[in-house]
Amino acid sequence: MAQGAATVAPGLSSFLKSLRTTPVDPSVEHFTSLLKRRQIRNSRPCAIATVALLLRVVSEFKGRDAAKLVERIRQVGRRLISAQPRELVVGNMVRRVLGLVREVVDENLDAETNAASEGSHNQHSHHDSLTRPNLTSSISTFSPLKHAAAEPTDSNLSQSENMSESGELWRRPPLLTSHTSYAPASNAPLVHSLFGLFSQPETPSNSSTPTGHQSPDGKGMLTSLNLERLADLSRSKTTIDLRAEVMDGIRELQDELEQSDDLIAANALDHIHSNEIILTHTASTSVQKFLLAAARKRKFTVVHAETYPHDHTATHGILLTGKKRETQGDDEDDVWKPLTAAGIQVYAIPDSHVFAIMSRVNKVILATHTVLANGGLVAAAGAHMIAKAAKDHQTPVVVVSGVYKLSPVYPFDIEELIEYGDAGSVVPYEDGDFVEKVDVENPLYDYVPADLVDLYITNLGGHAPSYLYRIVADHYRSEDITL
Amino acid sequence: MSDPPASEAAPPAVPAPAEKKISPAELKKQKAAEKQARRAQQKAEPPAHQQQGPATKQKDSKQPPKDDRSRPLPVRRRASQSNVPVPKDVKKEPKKEVKQVGLFFSHLYSQPRQHSVVGASKDVHPAILALGLQYSSYVICGSTARMVAMLLAFKAVIESYQTPVGTSLARHLTSHHLSPQIDFLRSCRPLSISMGNAIRWLKDIIIKIDPSTPEAEAKREMLEEIDNFIRDRVTAAGQLISGYAVKKIEAGDVILTYGSSSIVEQSILRAHREGIPFSVIVVDSKPLFEGKQLSRKLANHGLKVRYYLITGASHAVKDATKVFLGAHAMMSNGRLYSRVGAALVSMLASSQSLPVIVLCESVKFTERVALDSIVGNEVAPAEELLSESEREALLPLKPLLPQSLRKGDEVEDTKPETGDVLKWIEGSENLQMLQVLYDVTPAEYIDMVITEYGSLPPSSVPVVHRLSTNT
Repeated sequence: MAQGAATVAPGLSSFLKSLRTTPVDPSVEHFTSLLKRRQIRNSRPCAIATVALLLRVVSEFKGRDAAKLVERIRQVGRRLISAQPRELVVGNMVRRVLGLVREVVDENLDAETNAASEGSHNQHSHHDSLTRPNLTSSISTFSPLKHAAAEPTDSNLSQSENMSESGELWRRPPLLTSHTSYAPASNAPLVHSLFGLFSQPETPSNSSTPTGHQSPDGKGMLTSLNLERLADLSRSKTTIDLRAEVMDGIRELQDELEQSDDLIAANALDHIHSNEIILTHTASTSVQKFLLAAARKRKFTVVHAETYPHDHTATHGILLTGKKRETQGDDEDDVWKPLTAAGIQVYAIPDSHVFAIMSRVNKVILATHTVLANGGLVAAAGAHMIAKAAKDHQTPVVVVSGVYKLSPVYPFDIEELIEYGDAGSVVPYEDGDFVEKVDVENPLYDYVPADLVDLYITNLGGHAPSYLYRIVADHYRSEDITL
Repeated sequence: MSDPPASEAAPPAVPAPAEKKISPAELKKQKAAEKQARRAQQKAEPPAHQQQGPATKQKDSKQPPKDDRSRPLPVRRRASQSNVPVPKDVKKEPKKEVKQVGLFFSHLYSQPRQHSVVGASKDVHPAILALGLQYSSYVICGSTARMVAMLLAFKAVIESYQTPVGTSLARHLTSHHLSPQIDFLRSCRPLSISMGNAIRWLKDIIIKIDPSTPEAEAKREMLEEIDNFIRDRVTAAGQLISGYAVKKIEAGDVILTYGSSSIVEQSILRAHREGIPFSVIVVDSKPLFEGKQLSRKLANHGLKVRYYLITGASHAVKDATKVFLGAHAMMSNGRLYSRVGAALVSMLASSQSLPVIVLCESVKFTERVALDSIVGNEVAPAEELLSESEREALLPLKPLLPQSLRKGDEVEDTKPETGDVLKWIEGSENLQMLQVLYDVTPAEYIDMVITEYGSLPPSSVPVVHRLSTNT
């Protein structure tokens, strides 16, 4: 097992370090073993590691055949997923990267067809459910495809895009907004994530996407304008560097992972008012940053359930130091103060106290492991009873989650999503007599149904649980749902 | 009242040569006081328990108003006793209060728990002293067990009691002899509802004793009454309740219970003895882990037991078919006052449409009502929340701590001790740990209450309470 330093326990950081030097196949092996041993666990580390690995896979890919690249990524993805099927985030990331590749390919195709004949374009895209050219320009930062999709044929252009994107591309006016012809419900949030226009995963996409496309009114001009431009660009350079495009897209995905917490935190002031009492649980970086962002302006009180027995150490740690120790990968420069240092009163309570305290709580903020397409979520054990107690007290439940945790999976079999952990953390094995006679169970996750959640806050903004399926549709392509 | 503080304050002021002039008795007293002061300082918590004497007295007089009239003129002697160490405490208290701003339960923080016999009034019977410490360390835990243990200890107290000349047993025993015992027990841990009920009953018995009865006979009668009380209200009631409860257990059932209740345990074991095939899920929570003992006992009897912690409760509930809960008390508005977490379990169970059945002797019924778990509750020391192993797991965090918390330790950076973790938490200004012992389960989650009077809906609790107190 490649291991950075002798002192570093195998984990995300050691994996990332070794990834730089190790070739792809051993790295995949390494990652699967880390996943299997739970040495990389929880959504963020898994996502970071998966994306880094896929970046490497793409960069080492030889050849220009997109189909082969897709196959290669799928093959790696399948191995990773089977290594730890309950870290849905791994699958999410693989699907996002696959989507990237498809975008690039579609771009290319469209560009070619544009160059060849504009007349054939409509038919082509219609057939493929790929409405490339008119949409390219309106893709946002958040969708990793933006870059890959935007003016793919011109390397200079994409270069400049690349530089600007990390900063504030999302503020960029959605120029050439042919997407407005799209389902009206999607308008506001989709300004940020127009990816959906491309990826329309479910069956209706075929019919719905082209409608905008074919509509002759208003946008028609824009579309043709756009097409012209694209055609120009494609003419200048017909071959496309598939690999570079995809890699750029993956880097954007990495940026998204990095920034999602801050973007979520930017919403904090909209949701937390002064003197509120907020209940939360587990040691979640997203939640802590969210609360910290609000703490800069407002004073409120936090009640923190400690999530015994699997997350209590991290929880106490984050309360005391503001840092999560278990994720070795957490960058050292990414230091922030604990909530208490920001002048916020924090009460740590055992999980059993949730009901007793709930009558005083104004808002419940839950961290999550994975968000499912139906609006339900998988979160650390105890989340279900917290959400239920909140519901029974009419307390709003807010779930804070990056879009990368949003998974296209529907929970047909809930038990399948629940991981059971080490019984030794419930009853230590020294108590051999007890462990032998009694079945000790330690479920690590809870499934929280969508009706217990009032609001999701992602890096795209706030959403009702019932709306999540749209965001899923925006981020994953139907071809990739089953890997 | 003012006398003891004066004598306390005097010795340090007196110059060294003068010290010899103090009478031996006074010297002894002074030394005892000094020792006490030292011990009190060693202990992290403020020894405000001594203050409780007067504080709780006031409460006491509110609670059973009827025996105020039976109290002749007790004030002087008792006051002087319980007040001896007061002056020292006053100095320490403000320091503690800086941190103790408890948002939710600040009204409950008044009495720190007594963990030693130091400062106990000398009237307190040794059996009570021992019992009190068993209370405060949770050796005796559970409202029935505490009540029975208290009554048994009272038997010892009564046995060794001698009515002073000039008073009658009925008038003297309650107010002068039992009250200090009760105060001490209360300082160790607040009285349970069942204990309160039993004390009220006992005082009633004592008052009713005919002053003309000879002391020996009166004492014998009282002891007999206590035995009868335990037999009727606890043992026989337990038999009846478990009999009813067993009928609710059917073959193939999965009985879920929370924490540990003696009556639930009794019922489950009885059903098991009767040969009903069923299994049990025990849900437990930190820091007491009472369910561990229960699971161990049940498993030793050959039952199939599964053990979850409260975080896994929503999984546990899925597999269960019935929920049996013990009670600390049943409130008159039909709500269940029980170990904290019981409300969560019954909430989850009732959302799964599982029957939630509370097993409760009528001695635990109270006329008190409660709407939430915050107004009336028992706060337990927060340091109990972090077990030794948890503290150990936190030790590596030391280098990451904010500077303000670390500065004290930097000097002797030898090896970190688990006690340090508590100091960190204590030291960090805005961080507090919170522990209460009970919560209130809304009546709508409870489908049935089984008492020795039969099975009834929670709305019938006040009826049964009247029934049980009037007879």
